[in-house]
Amino acid sequence: MSKRVALKDSVMVDAVDLSNFARSVEFSSEHERVDVSGFNATGSNEYLTGPTEQSVTVEFFGSYGTGEVHQTLYPIHRDREVVAFAWRPDQTAPASATNPELRGQVQLYSYGPGATRGDTETFSVVFQAADEDGLAFQTTPLP
Amino acid sequence: MTLYKVTAATGFRGFKEGEEFEAELAPDEERRAKERGSIRVVKRDDKEGKKEGKE
Repeated sequence: MSKRVALKDSVMVDAVDLSNFARSVEFSSEHERVDVSGFNATGSNEYLTGPTEQSVTVEFFGSYGTGEVHQTLYPIHRDREVVAFAWRPDQTAPASATNPELRGQVQLYSYGPGATRGDTETFSVVFQAADEDGLAFQTTPLP
Repeated sequence: MTLYKVTAATGFRGFKEGEEFEAELAPDEERRAKERGSIRVVKRDDKEGKKEGKE
């Protein structure tokens, strides 16, 4: 497999293509580690896998045009909506085994754009997985 | 089915601005998309199959 420079990523939120307004994406999926250690001869700990917490953090450029970042994200946060999220490495190709797409239903528990004089406006948004399907990498395109 | 037109440069469901598509969107998805200016309804079939005009 070749290495890659992230340039052509696709970021879709609630069916809106926000790729050109995003500049970083970071997926996190963590299983809670539950300590179920009992007394034993070696003193070793024993763990079971607990609940899974998943999120995707995206850094967006602040933009306020029709159907752009603010108009897409703020209503989702304000109205506590659950919406579709998708990210894949290459927007010029459909999802496949070599271009896996992270998909799931997400919520926005916090929303906090801001600005500094003279600086490009950017802010990070954390999308939290919102249902039992969680966020998962898919290797086939949506129908 | 409802015929929609994409009205924002950020597209909708993979369709580009100016393109039309037929779909049955969930009411909440349609409401959000219309509010932010992503789409508009071109033609909607009512339950008896009649066509409604533009919204």
